[in-house]
Amino acid sequence: MKRARGLARALLPAALAALVACTPQAPPAPTNSRVAQFGELPDWRGYWIAEGMLSDISGYTADGPTAPLRMEFQGADAPWKPEQRAKIEAMVPALVAAAAKGKSTGWGYPMMMQSFAPMQFLITPGETLVMNFYRDVRHVYTDGRSHPKPDDLWPTPWGDSIGHWEGDTLVIDTIAVQRPGILFVPFPLVSEKARYIERIRRVSADRMESQFTIEDPETLTGPWTFKLAYVRQPALDRLIHEAFDNDRVEVDAQGELLTIKPPQR
Amino acid sequence: MHSRHLAWVIGVLLPAAAMNAQAHHSAAMFDDSKRVTLAGTVREFQWSNPHCYVQLLVTPEKGTAREWSLEMGAPTYLYNLGWRPSTLKAGDKITVKIAPLRKGGAGGLLLEVTTADGRHFGGKK
Repeated sequence: MKRARGLARALLPAALAALVACTPQAPPAPTNSRVAQFGELPDWRGYWIAEGMLSDISGYTADGPTAPLRMEFQGADAPWKPEQRAKIEAMVPALVAAAAKGKSTGWGYPMMMQSFAPMQFLITPGETLVMNFYRDVRHVYTDGRSHPKPDDLWPTPWGDSIGHWEGDTLVIDTIAVQRPGILFVPFPLVSEKARYIERIRRVSADRMESQFTIEDPETLTGPWTFKLAYVRQPALDRLIHEAFDNDRVEVDAQGELLTIKPPQR
Repeated sequence: MHSRHLAWVIGVLLPAAAMNAQAHHSAAMFDDSKRVTLAGTVREFQWSNPHCYVQLLVTPEKGTAREWSLEMGAPTYLYNLGWRPSTLKAGDKITVKIAPLRKGGAGGLLLEVTTADGRHFGGKK
């Protein structure tokens, strides 16, 4: 009897362990540390449009559809290598012709970071999402991972982004951006070897600022640096994504210029 | 000359012809050097993507009504300016200022709207 009791006592831990192993595991509840991590992150809530890019009812700025805009990714001040500058000049007729006939359903990266489209920054402890009205989406991983190995990476219109926080500044490193871009004008005219560094910070309730640097050994003589800003849009209470179901713009009968199709009855 | 050419392309021409666009198409289709004022009746207000449209019936003093297709920005852009699908209704009398289609025809880019009750939208404030 005494021996049997001893045996039971010896087997009890194993039996309990087996019972625990067979019990279905509930998903782990959020830990206090996860909540604390959220609490340490900046508050970038709201909807933002790049400074100078606010649309009027026409869809263009209030200055009119052909008013000059300072769009940094065109590269007016970029340190182009002479051969790239010559190449861009040679591309002019094709760019102009393509622009007159081209259409697009989004901006791609990096154009989406200075566009007319309202955008949102959704910050979590391990990842920040940058999204806009046209469903351009960037996943910026801030969990300490590296970019995939070069052999396992291929160019996409939004590239591969990793980031980290330096205080309240989000530093983003993006590579593998597909060129030309998906917009009807393919700016910036850099190569797929380009690296894009952003340092984004909310400087006031209604303004964020970004220092942008592009490095590209193929097309630039050195870092191309400029600043962008984003202005909060208090009238936007949601980011609305829509079906692309009333595209009435088509190339005219001469095949040279876009025009408006009559409405469907 | 080369750098001037580049400035023309990158700094001036492409913004005018292409870049100042709401991600869907170029502005080259509209003649921004011209303005046309039309007074008419809304047949339909299309709250749609990638563009909203006003279908405006314009009746000349002599002749029959002609329907104009007037392009606007995408709904989100209008929403940000306080517009909703109900802002214009069929039957509304409005006056508009447009940049006409470069190739001609009854169409253009809608720049400003004034409603019969005196509300004004668009243009420089």
